[in-house]
Amino acid sequence: MKLTSPTIVQNAHDDSIWTATWVPATDDSPPLLLTGSLDETVRLWDPDSEKCLQTNTGHCLGVVSVAAHPSGRMAASASIDSFIRVFDVVTNNTISTLEAAPSEVWQLQFNPEGTILAAAGGSSASVKLFDTAQWKTVATLSIPHPESSNPSEKSGSKKFVLSIAWSPEGRHLACGSMDGTISVFDVTRAKFLHHLEGHCMPVRSLVYSPAPLDSRVLFSASDDGHVHVYDAEGKALITTMSGHSSWVLSLDASPDGAAIATGSSDRTVRLWDLKMRAATQILSNHTDLVWAVAFGQPLRRDVRSCLLASVSDDKSIAFYQYS
Amino acid sequence: MMEKGEDGEGIRHLDESLESQPDDPSLHFNLGLLLWEKGEESKAAEHFVICAKLNPQEAAAFRYLGDYYSRFDNHDQSQRALKCYQRSLFLNPDDSLAGEAFCDLLDQHGKHSLQFAVCTQASNESPRAFWAFRRLGFLQVHQKNWSEAVQKLQHAIRGYPTCADLWESLALAYQRLGMFTAAIKSYGRAIDLEESRIFGLIESGNISLMLGSFRKGVEYFRQALLVSPQNIAAHYGLASSLLGLAKECINSGAFRWGASLLEEASEVVVAIMTFAGNVSCMWKLHGDIQLFYANCFPWVDDGFGLEADKRSFSDSIVSWKRTCHLAAVSSFRSYQRALRLAPWQANLYTDVAIASDLVVFSKENHEEHLNTWSESEKMCLGGLLLEGDNNEFWVTLGCLSDDSVLRQHALIRGLQLDVSLAVAWAYLGKLYRQEGKQKLAQQAFDRARSIDPSLALPWAGMSADADVRKLKPDEAYECCLQAVQILPLAEFQIGLAKLAMYSSNMPSSEVFRTIRQALQRAPHYPESHNLNGLVCEARSDYQSASASFRLARHAVSSFAGKVSKLYHKDISVNLVRSLCKAGSPSEAVEECELLKKEGLLDLEGLQIYALCLCQLGKSDMALSEAKTLAASILSMDARKAAALISFISRLMYYICGPESAITSILKMPKELCQSSKVSFIVSAIDTLGHGNQLESIVSHSHRSLELSEDITSMHYLIALGKLVKHVSNDCLGIQNGVNHLRKALHMYPDSGLIRNLLSYLLLFSKEWKDVHLATRCVTIDPCDHQKEKVLKSGFEILGAGGVACCTKRRCDDKFLFPSYREQWPPETGIVQQLQKRLHQEPWNFKAKYLLILNYMQTARKERYPQHLCTIIERLIYVALSDEFCSRQEKSHEYQKFQLLLCAAEVCLQRGDHIGSVRHAKSASKLLLPDGHLFYAHLLLCRAYAAQDNVVDLRKEYMRCLELKTDRQIGWICLKIIDCQYKLQTDCSVLAVGFQECSRDVKNTWNVWMAVFDLVQGLVAIQTKDFLRAEEFLAQACSLAGDESCLFFCHGTVCMELARRQCDTRFLSLAVRSFKKSRETSVPLPILSLLLAQAEASLGSRMKWEKNLRDEWFSWPPEKRPAELYFQMHLLAKQDKDGSNSSSTLGSSQSALRWVLQAIHLNPSSLRYWKVLQNSVLVNMNILLD
Repeated sequence: MKLTSPTIVQNAHDDSIWTATWVPATDDSPPLLLTGSLDETVRLWDPDSEKCLQTNTGHCLGVVSVAAHPSGRMAASASIDSFIRVFDVVTNNTISTLEAAPSEVWQLQFNPEGTILAAAGGSSASVKLFDTAQWKTVATLSIPHPESSNPSEKSGSKKFVLSIAWSPEGRHLACGSMDGTISVFDVTRAKFLHHLEGHCMPVRSLVYSPAPLDSRVLFSASDDGHVHVYDAEGKALITTMSGHSSWVLSLDASPDGAAIATGSSDRTVRLWDLKMRAATQILSNHTDLVWAVAFGQPLRRDVRSCLLASVSDDKSIAFYQYS
Repeated sequence: MMEKGEDGEGIRHLDESLESQPDDPSLHFNLGLLLWEKGEESKAAEHFVICAKLNPQEAAAFRYLGDYYSRFDNHDQSQRALKCYQRSLFLNPDDSLAGEAFCDLLDQHGKHSLQFAVCTQASNESPRAFWAFRRLGFLQVHQKNWSEAVQKLQHAIRGYPTCADLWESLALAYQRLGMFTAAIKSYGRAIDLEESRIFGLIESGNISLMLGSFRKGVEYFRQALLVSPQNIAAHYGLASSLLGLAKECINSGAFRWGASLLEEASEVVVAIMTFAGNVSCMWKLHGDIQLFYANCFPWVDDGFGLEADKRSFSDSIVSWKRTCHLAAVSSFRSYQRALRLAPWQANLYTDVAIASDLVVFSKENHEEHLNTWSESEKMCLGGLLLEGDNNEFWVTLGCLSDDSVLRQHALIRGLQLDVSLAVAWAYLGKLYRQEGKQKLAQQAFDRARSIDPSLALPWAGMSADADVRKLKPDEAYECCLQAVQILPLAEFQIGLAKLAMYSSNMPSSEVFRTIRQALQRAPHYPESHNLNGLVCEARSDYQSASASFRLARHAVSSFAGKVSKLYHKDISVNLVRSLCKAGSPSEAVEECELLKKEGLLDLEGLQIYALCLCQLGKSDMALSEAKTLAASILSMDARKAAALISFISRLMYYICGPESAITSILKMPKELCQSSKVSFIVSAIDTLGHGNQLESIVSHSHRSLELSEDITSMHYLIALGKLVKHVSNDCLGIQNGVNHLRKALHMYPDSGLIRNLLSYLLLFSKEWKDVHLATRCVTIDPCDHQKEKVLKSGFEILGAGGVACCTKRRCDDKFLFPSYREQWPPETGIVQQLQKRLHQEPWNFKAKYLLILNYMQTARKERYPQHLCTIIERLIYVALSDEFCSRQEKSHEYQKFQLLLCAAEVCLQRGDHIGSVRHAKSASKLLLPDGHLFYAHLLLCRAYAAQDNVVDLRKEYMRCLELKTDRQIGWICLKIIDCQYKLQTDCSVLAVGFQECSRDVKNTWNVWMAVFDLVQGLVAIQTKDFLRAEEFLAQACSLAGDESCLFFCHGTVCMELARRQCDTRFLSLAVRSFKKSRETSVPLPILSLLLAQAEASLGSRMKWEKNLRDEWFSWPPEKRPAELYFQMHLLAKQDKDGSNSSSTLGSSQSALRWVLQAIHLNPSSLRYWKVLQNSVLVNMNILLD
């Protein structure tokens, strides 16, 4: 398992790039990378030619999250002012706009079936679910307050929800909060299941393992510099992996489920071997905080390798090949 | 019918041909073929015989004959058939039909070797005789001649690539040869060709199991069960791969996951047991599953407040124990059944022994049977009787035996059989360690570790012997971590947590993970709860910590039997400490009093007791406890004493104020004030108290500071102290602080702490330049939110400075000219910086608030475009609904006020007057000082004015006058409103108010006064009272001698006066002012133009020309106005009219072109058109002439 040295697109945006996701391949287009930036634009990139195919404007503040529909035809982007724009990937026609006032919207994620768009609800201490047919709120999964909480404590702002992840079969949803707890929900029954503890600082990124039989394994990245591996159903912390010298801002699991990649504010991207529980590769191609890493689907020409993209505050995008 | 008809036709036709050519073998053959197909076999055979006789080379004929003869169940005939086939094959070895039939026939007669020979011959003769290769391959597989078989099968597959049997046989051969990946691939191929290949699926599963990829195994066996739901092998395989998977999970610490997998595996086994009840290995597998289940089933704290209820806590543990025990019993029984079915298998005896040991161990109240042989020992011996040379059995005996002599003997026996048996060495080490033979234990462990470093026990032993081996705490921790990572055993995990305590690894997430796992498997040990509490405490989760300590106490009383009182006390003190930190002092005091009654309250407990009493307001009791503490200071070592001194000093300060704290410090021994911590506290108390009693101690203690970090912090503290000490007129002595910090910064230029405090203080300054300096001085540390102690973080200062700077530089982009000699750097990055901060910390209200204010400034700069207003409104709405704003703190009230004002301003700019009034009104109702509320009313004035509501406007105006403000800009605004809406109040009130608030400003008060004069002048201009305006502006110019704009205004007014009164005195005044203005700044536009006009009016043509040219160059090319072109036209005309002096400008452009350009830029001016008309006329005249 290894990452090739990257091809880097310098000055891909006019300002810090904050988010990236892969748009799955469709019948008439290869997989593309969607990025969102502080310069208020969302851009679409072809990884082969490293060219920007499209620049979508429309947000008035920095774009904090982008999400692609599993069909590859539709995507959503959200900016700091909690304004979600859902658009057609090819034509850039607006399909819907969602406003989530007064609470905020951070990470967005479509469920694997593509029927629900989930949004980490920021200060509302909840996850909002939008129906992708009507574009209406179908449910709000709230994190319950701890029973013994002190009323004087500002528990509301402590549970600020930053990140979400869908389990591979779409049954469960995990969300990470500012106080370091991760909450797991059963989406079909719209029920809170339990908390996962272990982080003591904001949880910035979550992802479930895509490997078969491992669908209860959840990876989390936190400001405390650790990557945790949880048994999300059994409520147990399985492994901790340390090495980053600062916040871990993002992580993603490789399609084969054998490795994860993390991006950190120590300006590095690391590749972790899950069997060895250690970083096998440290890439310091970025010169500023790495806000997002994303693994693409397996390549058509070689199913055992895939692309990894990382974006950073230094305005650049890096593409690596993972095999 | 048709075919039969055709066949009949064919036969007749052939019959006819035969009559003419009776010796043609092919005709006979064809006829035979047709007859054969028709079913008239004997007739066909006749023709084949003839054909064969006529043409002995016709292989097919022989084959058919063979087929014919083989149908008779008769020895002779079959001999004949064999011969025919032989002949046929001899002629054509590729003929698979003949070959297969021949071999089948041989097979029927049991002539295997002959069959083998035939195939070999055929395969030797032709490489295309694939049938022969296939047959040969199968035969060789049957004979277990694997390597030969592989070659043959590989060859055969070239002929029959879609034959699943071939692939399967090939895979089997590979498997037997140990080429597992190749085997799996071949099986996969067979399964692809035929999905229901149960053999392939099961064997693939078995190979995956052997290779340790249990996930794959599960998949294969599940697939196999879909094909054949009752298959015992598939069930067995599925259960054992689930077992393997569970082992992996357990080894990584996921006990719950492992347990659920084991439950599934057990179900799989039980489901098939009705069919496989007599299979010994099935029972053995079930025993294994249950044994692991008993060893991994986790105890789970569901968080239902077990700490409050001792009963339910012990119930939950008892039920957990029972589950484990039942699983152990079940495994014990299953092993016994297996043994009953296969009593000759020695390993089953040891299995039974292990299970029985576990059963005894997991019983709730097991009695010790001393001096009698336990069942497990006996069963071990049973195994050893069968296989005395199995070293593992000896090791098992060594572990299970109760008798230490027997144990040592057994282990040594094991080592005699295999000297490199790491396990035996490890257990030997453990045995020696228990017996206190440290040296031997060490040697044994070292031996074990060097033989097999992947064994957990030696690592654990090494860390346990840390002090004997003289390991550093960190090394011991690392060793134990190694052990825990190899084997997540609760005992190791508890040890790791203990070692973490000594090596400052307590808050690390590795320790957290470990102790949580330990809790799942050892909930009945009080130590695991106690350590869990300590870990939680280290991670600042005090609620959970106190809950854990309570659980630990329950565990002590329910399960631990006899423990020392000291242990109980330790846990209680831990509990008290965490309760105190968790913010529930009353509970802590209760606990302390209980401890005190038992006489277990030690020094640490006393400190907490005093602190909690203080928090509860019981000062007297706290003081008396403090006295008890103080009495014991002298008998302590220095570090503890220093801590105690700082504690007592602080306590005294909080209870009795600075004076008594100072007296108590003076009483303390001086030499104990040397530590840096004490130094900080002493200095702080010194600043807060009056007088300088502590000076000597403070200066003495400062010497103890060595680290530069400490020193900068001390400067920070001193600067703050200077603020407090030099209070004048209720104002902090900010300038003193600034001065001190400037010096300190010179010494420590890289200290962010000092920098940020300096810029924070500079923001308070009323001087213009200081605000700007603040934004330049500040450093932004991307990670400073981790340090919560900092008074103001960099981004806040930057944001605030951004707002302040921006107000200074408000100007329209279209007419943006650098008029200041100082060039401010652009602050456009601030909005981005704040967004970055908000992205990093979305919950940070401060960042949001500053972003809104800065965004507001951007909007103001761009004259409030619609989309920016929408965003600002949304952001403000979000911010106002945030619970932060609803809190009743002064700074929050102020922030709310600012946000409401912004909202009101945005509404006003968008024309929503009612909304604006609503926001401003709610702002004016907040509880804030009058000086702030002034602005709410000012905004109300503007909103009413926009509504033309004069009555309310006047009311609000009067309110403003009552409230007063200490900011000049407020008075100026008020003045403008006054004039604009002719409220006609007493002017002097405004002027007095303005002068009052300008008094504090030292360096730039003149500028403010000048600005006020300027405003008054402008007001006068509006009322057409130019003489008064001139007076005011002249005064302004004299106040601020270096402000070009003021001179510019003055000059303009003078020009106007000159025009109106035709007084040249004003003209010369104007010229003077313009010149002054030009001297003091970079070329301003229009200035030169006006100067030119003034000079022209005074009659100096040369100066007019020169100034006009200057004017041309003072504009950037793209911004030159129409009038300028027109003026250039005049200049050009002058040039033309006058001597043909070489003009640099006019030569290229004729006067006419200048006019045309002017008209192009501004077609609405009639003046230009007229001139154009005239000049065209003139030109025409010239032409006519």
